[in-house]
Amino acid sequence: ACLNPASSSPNTPTDLSTKVSESIGKAQETCADDPQSGECVAAWDEVEELSAAASHARDNIKASSSGPSDPLEEFCKDNMDTAECRTYDD
Amino acid sequence: MAVCTVYSPHSLKSTCPIPNTSRIQLGSHQKQVIFFTRRKGGNYRSNKLSGTITCEANTIVIGLAADSGCGKSTFMRRLTSVFGGAASPPKGGNPDSNTLISDTTTVICLDDYHSLDRYGRKEQGVTALDPKANNFDLMYEQVKALKQGIAVEKPIYNHVTGILDSPELIQPPKILVIEGLHPMYDSRVRDLLDFSIYLDISNEVKFAWKIQRDMAERGHSLESIKASIESRKPDFDAFIDPQKQYADAVIEVLPTQLIPDDNEGKVLRVKLVMKEGVKYFSPSYLFDEGSTIDWIPCGRKLTCSYPGIKFSYGPDSYYSNEVSVLEMDGQFDKLDELIYVESHLSNLSTKFYGEVTQQMLSLSNFPGSTNGTGLFQTIVGMKIRDLYEQIIAEKKGSSLQAAKM
Repeated sequence: ACLNPASSSPNTPTDLSTKVSESIGKAQETCADDPQSGECVAAWDEVEELSAAASHARDNIKASSSGPSDPLEEFCKDNMDTAECRTYDD
Repeated sequence: MAVCTVYSPHSLKSTCPIPNTSRIQLGSHQKQVIFFTRRKGGNYRSNKLSGTITCEANTIVIGLAADSGCGKSTFMRRLTSVFGGAASPPKGGNPDSNTLISDTTTVICLDDYHSLDRYGRKEQGVTALDPKANNFDLMYEQVKALKQGIAVEKPIYNHVTGILDSPELIQPPKILVIEGLHPMYDSRVRDLLDFSIYLDISNEVKFAWKIQRDMAERGHSLESIKASIESRKPDFDAFIDPQKQYADAVIEVLPTQLIPDDNEGKVLRVKLVMKEGVKYFSPSYLFDEGSTIDWIPCGRKLTCSYPGIKFSYGPDSYYSNEVSVLEMDGQFDKLDELIYVESHLSNLSTKFYGEVTQQMLSLSNFPGSTNGTGLFQTIVGMKIRDLYEQIIAEKKGSSLQAAKM
């Protein structure tokens, strides 16, 4: 009940997200027969690797879109000479 | 400036059996040795070099071990921030490169030394945690070469596709950080490390962190997260966990003891275990070095809301090594009040009063900034800077002496 990050965090790129859910499905399938087998363990390891990759991708999207940079900063990257962006060091 | 000399038992022109695929280029700006040939299927195999190369380089090597999803990247960004300048992936290269480069520091991810890609591991039924899935020979040769000031062509393990991409050129940095699952597993690689750190996350906290990380993901459920952790556990216990006995510093993250039956993983009890007697590394302490102390700083000078903050410090033994342990349980409400805590800690290797607090404030949006993980990671960063400066100073001193002779 206390955890609902789905609404707040930005989305994972769709292809990665599909890969994660596919790998979970495959792992559950593989492990249905023998949860101790090498195939099962390797399948869950793949889930972990893809989940980590998805989380890193989410962080990158967050950092580049909604994160510390605000709309003005984004604008000023491309338009350094406009009145609202000019800064002088001295 | 690295000074390199090539010693070869044979004359380089006639009998030197260096295969065509490896090149040696030595010069004032270009120093590069390629130690492997590419084979079908993305595997790498090392070639023997006939000569030995000795270099007087100033690269120091730091190893950071932790499981996937345990905050290695946050630690890395805190560390590079201590040295100044932001770390970013190599410019213009593979967009899926795992390497981070800043002015002083290069961080390489040891997943790049997987010998089996994702499909190979599946076929053989092994995890990435298994030493069989990793090429320690290549890891040793390339880390050794970088330490000697020689650039290497390092493979790239692509985490999205799960295959080994074509290699990237890594230049020898001032500080090389190798982070991943096995930096202290192979004794040859371990001997190359000037300092080693292990991030030890307890099972309860790992579970809570993975829920926060993965629950939003389509397809993931509590069951799938649990199953993933459970199935990797035997390999983790067999191959990853034992490395902590070799670490110079261990950061242990445990559930809080201030709140009974807490399982949210938001309030943490964090221990910094520092090995005694390590050259260039003197542990930080609270009030009085070598005593055992419990300290609750909350009161008139520090505002704490529930559940408060508790520090502990004392000598202990860890895998039959003598260690000093600094512990923080709880979290800060106002980060700038951290200066009160900092002023009671000694031997932090800071350059000026309040540097730890200033570092924490400048990275206040990072995970762990209000608890012991951020504080201890920052302190370890200061310690590594100090270690680096001592090693450089000593090398300069000895080369000066050699010049006088």
